[in-house]
Amino acid sequence: MTEFNDSVVHTPPGRMRVWSFRPFTWVLLPVLAILFQVYVPRFFSFLSYLELPLLVTVYFSIMRRQPPAGALTGCLIGLAQDSLTFIPLGMYGIVKTVIGYSAASVSLRFDVENSGLRYVMSFGFFIAHQVLFWALSHMLLGAHDDFKLPQTLIAAFLNGIIALPLFQVFDKLKSEAQ
Amino acid sequence: MVRFVHDETYSGAAKVAVFQYLTVAVFIFLLVGYWDLQVRNEGLYNSKAQQNQIKSLPMPAPRGRILDRDGRVIVDNHASFRLVLSREGLRDDHVEPIARGLNLDVQDFQARVRRFQRRPSYFTIPVKEELTSGELAFVESHRNDLMFPEMELIKSQFRLYPKDGIASHLIGYVGEISEAELNSQEWANHNPGDLIGKMGVERFYNDTLTGIDGQRQVRVDNRMNTREVLGMKPAVPGKDLRLTIDLDLQTVAEMALEGKRGAVIAIAPATGDILAYASAPGYDPNLFVGRMKSSELKGLLEDPTKPLFNRVIQSQLAPGSTFKPFVALAALESGAIDENFSVHCAGSATFYGRVFKCHKKGGHGTVNLHSAIAQSCDVYFYNVGRMTGIDTIAKYAQMAGLGKKTGIDLPGEKEGVVPSSAWKIRTQREKWYEGETISVAIGQGAVTVTPLQLAYAYSGLLNNGVWMRPHILDDGHPPQVDHTADINPLNLAKVLDGMCAVVNEGGTGAAVHMSDIVLCGKTGTAQRASNDLLKTKLGEEAFRDDAWFVGFASRENPEIVVVALYENGMHGPLAAPIVRDVIKAFYDKKARQKQSGAPQNLAAAVRVPGSDLASPGLRSR
Amino acid sequence: MDGLFSRYRNLSALLLLLAGQLILLAWQIKSNGETRLLRVWAVTAVTPMARGMELTRDGLGGFFARWFMAGKLEQDNAQLRRQTAQLEIKNQLLQEQMQQSGRAQALLEFRSQLPSKSLPSRIIGSAPGVQSGVFILDRGSLEGVKRGMAVVTGEGIVGQVVASYPTASLMMLASSQGFAAGVTSQKSRTRGLLKGEGGTCHIFGIRNEQPVDKDEWFYTSGEDRIFPRGLRVGQARAVKDGVDGKEIEVRPIALDGDFAEVLILLDAVHGQIPELATPSNPDVQILDAPAPDQNGPMTDPASPATPGEAPSAMRTDADRIRDHYKRVVESQNFQVGTTPYRAPDFNRQPAAAPPALAPATGAVPDNQAVPVKPSPEPASAAKVPGLISQPSQRPKPPAQDRP
Repeated sequence: MTEFNDSVVHTPPGRMRVWSFRPFTWVLLPVLAILFQVYVPRFFSFLSYLELPLLVTVYFSIMRRQPPAGALTGCLIGLAQDSLTFIPLGMYGIVKTVIGYSAASVSLRFDVENSGLRYVMSFGFFIAHQVLFWALSHMLLGAHDDFKLPQTLIAAFLNGIIALPLFQVFDKLKSEAQ
Repeated sequence: MVRFVHDETYSGAAKVAVFQYLTVAVFIFLLVGYWDLQVRNEGLYNSKAQQNQIKSLPMPAPRGRILDRDGRVIVDNHASFRLVLSREGLRDDHVEPIARGLNLDVQDFQARVRRFQRRPSYFTIPVKEELTSGELAFVESHRNDLMFPEMELIKSQFRLYPKDGIASHLIGYVGEISEAELNSQEWANHNPGDLIGKMGVERFYNDTLTGIDGQRQVRVDNRMNTREVLGMKPAVPGKDLRLTIDLDLQTVAEMALEGKRGAVIAIAPATGDILAYASAPGYDPNLFVGRMKSSELKGLLEDPTKPLFNRVIQSQLAPGSTFKPFVALAALESGAIDENFSVHCAGSATFYGRVFKCHKKGGHGTVNLHSAIAQSCDVYFYNVGRMTGIDTIAKYAQMAGLGKKTGIDLPGEKEGVVPSSAWKIRTQREKWYEGETISVAIGQGAVTVTPLQLAYAYSGLLNNGVWMRPHILDDGHPPQVDHTADINPLNLAKVLDGMCAVVNEGGTGAAVHMSDIVLCGKTGTAQRASNDLLKTKLGEEAFRDDAWFVGFASRENPEIVVVALYENGMHGPLAAPIVRDVIKAFYDKKARQKQSGAPQNLAAAVRVPGSDLASPGLRSR
Repeated sequence: MDGLFSRYRNLSALLLLLAGQLILLAWQIKSNGETRLLRVWAVTAVTPMARGMELTRDGLGGFFARWFMAGKLEQDNAQLRRQTAQLEIKNQLLQEQMQQSGRAQALLEFRSQLPSKSLPSRIIGSAPGVQSGVFILDRGSLEGVKRGMAVVTGEGIVGQVVASYPTASLMMLASSQGFAAGVTSQKSRTRGLLKGEGGTCHIFGIRNEQPVDKDEWFYTSGEDRIFPRGLRVGQARAVKDGVDGKEIEVRPIALDGDFAEVLILLDAVHGQIPELATPSNPDVQILDAPAPDQNGPMTDPASPATPGEAPSAMRTDADRIRDHYKRVVESQNFQVGTTPYRAPDFNRQPAAAPPALAPATGAVPDNQAVPVKPSPEPASAAKVPGLISQPSQRPKPPAQDRP
């Protein structure tokens, strides 16, 4: 709880740090996340709730703190995810582009290393991701399924929980950008 | 721009942010609009899909079947599937596997697809009608999104009629309601596109046979694939209709008319049940199912043999000598003659300065009532007619039901003509000339009947003066008496005995005598009263006389009366085998039933309480 | 000024990315989604890794198994399991053939109909996203896998290959929405259509009057041109009468078991697709139609006649009775309505009825009004629906009377 008492809203510009990753990490993490998405729910169907590609997108975006970079990261991860599913290419791409951009924009104003904030962002961006995807598939593809709010809330909660340790693992791979 | 640069306050930045987001929002809004117009809404189907995300899909209710009196199916339905390819999802490399899956010639099919390439993309390509079960399995298992989503199945219900036009005039056919019908009173509560009965039973009992279409409320996606069924109102099938027709007799009647033009009608006198109803030539009602080629329709309409003409109830022809028993009865009942009245026939006689010939050139010699009926002596009946007078003849003919509609439950019945002095004044504003009575006495002149009327008239005589309403629908209710008449049984017996002699005592119908069945009857040979056929292409044949035969059996217990009309058949006796074979089929069937223990009183109708059969009061008109 | 510019730059980058993807989407929708190349790359890139993970998992399992069981038991076991599965399929087909025809015929037909080659494959992943029930198999077009191939286990059908990439392919599970296969019931040989409904399967196209018992087995009918005839599908879990015919719930038996390892039926019996003017599609497999069997055509629930037949072949009782009468009078050399001095005998049966009419008892309408009792003699009259039977011997010779 103490972390919540910290000032998470205003990060003095001087304290804002930008992190960078090795190119290898840039490639490996998204690929692993997508592979996980493809492979693991086959054996543990309850894990299909996880949206690891989204979490990776959010993580990279908030650590880089550059909206264009966030958007690009989201775009690439989303397109990769699209290419393995059988919906038109660009659906996950667009959604993750927006999420990446927003996450990076948000990170400009907040302390992204605060666990509480990380949880809130994972939770919020998961919901945003699902809502955006649902809205896009309605608007662009003419889909007519209903939005499943309770499931989305539960999944967002779980993703948030998973995000905390996951992000800490990812933290080990980062290095401060010059 | 410049103002923003100079405005460095926080609120200024906020304004810029708001402006930015507003711009993005407007941009997105425009983009969505563009998307809708250019990507999703292209083509007619897409725009339809847009407005109908929740669609009510009609589930056509099958029409009731038409059964014979034993419950055997005369008219059935069959559901069939039609396959079309939507052009929007069609890919060139799908054409060949689809053709192979449906056993189509690949080259032909590719050519057909190519032909459609120039047409707007919302035109679908018809692939195959009436899919077989195997083809259906192929289509269903391959039309998912990942294989060939362009395959679209369309299900429709079709009517299945007997081949070769069996009972075609009786049953009629169904077709889409026409513009004229929509505007008429009869079909006031129907909508464009409705299938309605166009003729015969299909038309008369249209409301009974028509079910209530169901509806399925479904949510569809942009490809019109059903994603979710929201609600369903099941279709209520039309009621099955059981007719009084006996398919055994009907079949024999149809076979007897093969190669002829004419009509056969069989009635059970005790009930008014129509047991057989055939008009030839017939037509194949299956032609009207689905798409009929205009050349086929034109062929039917222009055929000189008039295959669409319902001769049983619409053919108004002179009855010829089959009218003589009514003249005889009128004479006996009115006291104009008695049974001993006899006449010498020398082959012709002169009345009112004009020579009237008998059909037997050498004459019949001296004939009395019995032999005159048996030999069908014209001279005898010239005399009887003259003595009885036209109005008395008309009175008894009308009493028997001639000259007016019988009220059978079929559309389009004609009334025929029973001439009288009043009739002539009414229709021609002329007085009746006695000489005309002479012709009427032998069933010529102005008198015309339909085959049904003739059968109905005889059925009342055979039922001792009780005329049962002729009907086609076997609704399980007791038969209705149409009217009765007080006839002296002795006079009636004399007339009927004469008819018995026609077949069994070497009369004009001797060729159809049967040793085990007492068939009685009356031949008739009639000149054409109307010249309508003279105008047709039938040529000389159209001038030939019509042949009639009225037969019933047995003399003691008349269970069936059959009338056969053989148009241009030359001589009445040529129509007699038609009647004989129908009556033989009737008794052969009784024998079969006796053998198998089934109910024997065929004429009294074999009825099984059928809950879903049509009940009275459901008649459409 | 800088901040303002950078904000615009960010936004421009975002809009550029979004616009690019929107154009990509629009192009796919307009051109009906031909982005196969990208997907091929993606799947091809992912497959080796997924296969690696699968092997690691298997290897780990195997390591522990070997640790406890020692030797190559586990390896043998795996191979034996695969063989058993193949044999079971052969067995099923053989049994079906044996039941249908004589033993020699069965062997002959079996040889010609048995898929000559089946390819063992593993499921290495599920396709994430909207299409649940689509799995990734570790065999692709390099090993001869084509779209439209059947995927089975020894227990029964599993699904259908819906896309094939060089090193992997996609399989649609039998229970998923959009799946359909032709099936036949074991006892009554009633044909229907199995449709996946996302989780469960239902069989459609069977009339309410047709007998199907609960727990009755269903087999593939081969009519769908995907699954060869005679593969096991599953048992009817629930059977009830519905509006459009019977509603039969079936769960494909193979889906209840472990179907991590499956067989893709490659059928070399089927010939090459000939070269054509327009592009042919060697990536889609359409099986040849199965040889006709003795069972009647599939009856449509809404149709008391027999659809599946050509309409010209469909007949009502009226047609059948007419045929019967025609034969009767022809056998007596009689012309109805014409021949004088001789009456026909409609009860005398023609010498032998053509076989076409023989099984007509099934076509007797359900609400037959007159109870038709079986003829005391096996021949003739009873074979015509609705024709009231009589012994073929006539009490009297035909009438030959003249007045």
